[in-house]
Amino acid sequence: MKRTKIYANIVMTIVIVWLLIPLIATIIYSLFETWTGIVPQGFTLDAYKSIFTNGAFLTSMYQTLLVCVVPILITILVVLLALFAVTVYFPRLEKYVQILCMIPYTIQGVILSVSILSLYARGTSIFSGRMVMLFGAYCIIILPHIFNGIRNGMRAVNMNMLLEAAEMLGESKLKAFFKIIVPNILTGITVSSLLGVGLLFGDYVIIRNLSSSNVNNMQQFLYQSMKRSSTEASAVFVVIMLITFAITAVVLTLQSRSTLEKIRNERN
Amino acid sequence: MGKERSRALTNRNSKYIYLLALLPFLFLVVMYELLPLIMLVVDSFGIDKKPNIHFSLENYQKIFTTLSYKTAILNSLRITLTSTAVGIVIAFLGARAAYNSRGRFRSVFMTILNMTSNFAGVPLAFAYMILLGNAGVVRQIANVYGVEFIQNFDLYSRSGLTLMYIYFQIPLSTLLLIPAFNGIRTEWNEANMLLGGNSLHFWGKIGIPVLLPSIFSTLSVLFANALCAYATAYALLMNNFSLLPINISAQFVGDIRTKPKLGAALSVVMMVIMCIVILLNNYITKKTTKWEKR
Repeated sequence: MKRTKIYANIVMTIVIVWLLIPLIATIIYSLFETWTGIVPQGFTLDAYKSIFTNGAFLTSMYQTLLVCVVPILITILVVLLALFAVTVYFPRLEKYVQILCMIPYTIQGVILSVSILSLYARGTSIFSGRMVMLFGAYCIIILPHIFNGIRNGMRAVNMNMLLEAAEMLGESKLKAFFKIIVPNILTGITVSSLLGVGLLFGDYVIIRNLSSSNVNNMQQFLYQSMKRSSTEASAVFVVIMLITFAITAVVLTLQSRSTLEKIRNERN
Repeated sequence: MGKERSRALTNRNSKYIYLLALLPFLFLVVMYELLPLIMLVVDSFGIDKKPNIHFSLENYQKIFTTLSYKTAILNSLRITLTSTAVGIVIAFLGARAAYNSRGRFRSVFMTILNMTSNFAGVPLAFAYMILLGNAGVVRQIANVYGVEFIQNFDLYSRSGLTLMYIYFQIPLSTLLLIPAFNGIRTEWNEANMLLGGNSLHFWGKIGIPVLLPSIFSTLSVLFANALCAYATAYALLMNNFSLLPINISAQFVGDIRTKPKLGAALSVVMMVIMCIVILLNNYITKKTTKWEKR
């Protein structure tokens, strides 16, 4: 028994080391002037100073935030309304809504972006706006995650019973839905939208294909700075990595807190 | 009676008002998911230079007879299959290790998997360039000590790409397999040992068969993940390496003349490959879960 545990720890250590080497090497690279021998030389924070005083980098940060947050808010609202109508009034339609929400899992970024581009790019209507196309594609990409998060949350709170109780007390179902159900499933919504943020934050292909050249996210900025200077790019890399890790950390904390709550509720 | 009926009617009418709540969803899905995909399939039967022709198989014929497109499909399949196969083996070992060790180290392991699962695309390509690129850190260390296989390793090639794809498959696949291991009960191992079996018997005859449905569904996720990956390869090699997603994208946006209808046909080929894998996976899952229903 003890031997399997030691063996297990060895396997996990190897995987961890394998996964962390590229990250750690790049972090070290960003902190030194040169790394041409075995040991890097000349500790410096110049790379970070230069990117945080670079207007283009700050703009790309702000634009990344914008293109991540807006589609997520739209998708949450749209899915909440749809799932409200479907679970309360048309349970038979739920299956179809689910299928529509799961299709993006299989099409992913490249095909989605080129299909939207070829359909709308040549037109002159509002749909041909670069930002509109980008937001549309982003909403579709995060749809499966938002759908799963909201639906699982709704199942956990016994929505129909709560809504009927609210109706008996003289509140309309739609109002009750936003006043009672939504606050109750807020953790689920937050977790799934953070997963969506992580996904959109890491996107390169969709924004490259759909957005105009003056809208750049941080991934694109990293790509461009890779061509210029690898020290500057390594600092951009570290900032991207820290943001990704921060998003994941919040997701993990929220998830473990909600499972703890579930266990506590079951015990009571 | 009449009153009741009219009440029932208004109730039903008021119910249909709530279909309005579905409208934004339908609008989004139709405009940005269904319609673009349908038009892509329709476009794939057109010809780029002759806008009057609406149905022709010329694009498909071109794809399967032109060397560069065939290379793109083969390269994509090779890298995808290799990284999926290696990914699933490492995931199996990693998930089994996580299952066997239930301590603080396991949660560190899980956290690192979660943290690195979002790590792909441009940043991954960049990190590997720092490590193994022409002036890469590992390469320089290898030069000092004369480690030949690292000195000869070319990151800007198919094997380099495969290495990076394996990297991003590991956290994803391990995270997908870990929950499946929780379905393996310790009593089964005890029964196996009482009957004189060793751990090889256990995994060969009990463990892996029980895990098989999860292994196959993980395989199909990995396959899709690698087949559709664009940014990792593009950041490393730009358009200089023939891969299906890169070829598709280049037909729509790029410096060279675009051929959207040919690109549409290439996209359809990629979607068909995906569909075959999904159907195959469903079929195998049905076969391998038969014992559960008994």
